[in-house]
Amino acid sequence: MSPSQKSFRSPMGRVRFLGSARLGTDDMWRLHVTAAFMIPLTFGFVWLVLSLLHKDYNGVRAELGQPIPAIVLLLFVLTGLYHMQIGLRAIILDYIHGHTKEWLLIANAFFAVAVATACIYSVLRIGFV
Amino acid sequence: MASTETAPKPMRPRPLSPHLQVYRLTLTMVMSGLHRITGLCLFIGTLLLAWFLIAAASDASTFSYFSWFIESFIGRLALFGFTWALFHHLLGGVRHFIWDAGKGLGDPERDQLALATIVGSIAINVIVWIIGYAVR
Repeated sequence: MSPSQKSFRSPMGRVRFLGSARLGTDDMWRLHVTAAFMIPLTFGFVWLVLSLLHKDYNGVRAELGQPIPAIVLLLFVLTGLYHMQIGLRAIILDYIHGHTKEWLLIANAFFAVAVATACIYSVLRIGFV
Repeated sequence: MASTETAPKPMRPRPLSPHLQVYRLTLTMVMSGLHRITGLCLFIGTLLLAWFLIAAASDASTFSYFSWFIESFIGRLALFGFTWALFHHLLGGVRHFIWDAGKGLGDPERDQLALATIVGSIAINVIVWIIGYAVR
């Protein structure tokens, strides 16, 4: 590479829009930060599931109606779904091409928001209704 | 004379970097794939969690459908797979954090870390399930 050339991308590559979109670091950082939070949250979630295992309908509702289990669960769901959405987007971008890729990216974003909405609504309803 | 307005010539095939078929399969390659596959399993598994929470927020008869499923063999197997995927992905993430710190990338260390992820995830999963069955 000559000293005057400021990029490793070839002029032809640039014309064809190949190469980095310069947005990858952002996703990587968000994935890492959420991953770090997921370590304690996962153990909290597993603890919660173990405590719910042998409970019936009323027992489960009584447990999930407590502030700490509900907060741990909501943090686990929200952080997890945010992490998951970025991770699956990376998988789709790597392996799927063309229009299928576009539809799957939309479906991925919608799925994460839909599951998050269902979980938040349910936990809040158990706690407050 | 050919007009400049006609369709451009098809692209000359670009050089490709070496890919899966030219490499000998290594443990870290398998672990990389497993990390993505377990992530995908957890993605699908969130449906199970959402079903549980919706059922618990509904009435007792709606909850009984979920109870019936999760107590069935298929349900237990799905939950066993979900918790294993959870621990495997968790330990895989920790492994990536160790690598991010610039440690454990050497010849024996990277394979030891990969083995520790597999063995550790299975061990933690079995211990958690034993606790689940033992503690009431």
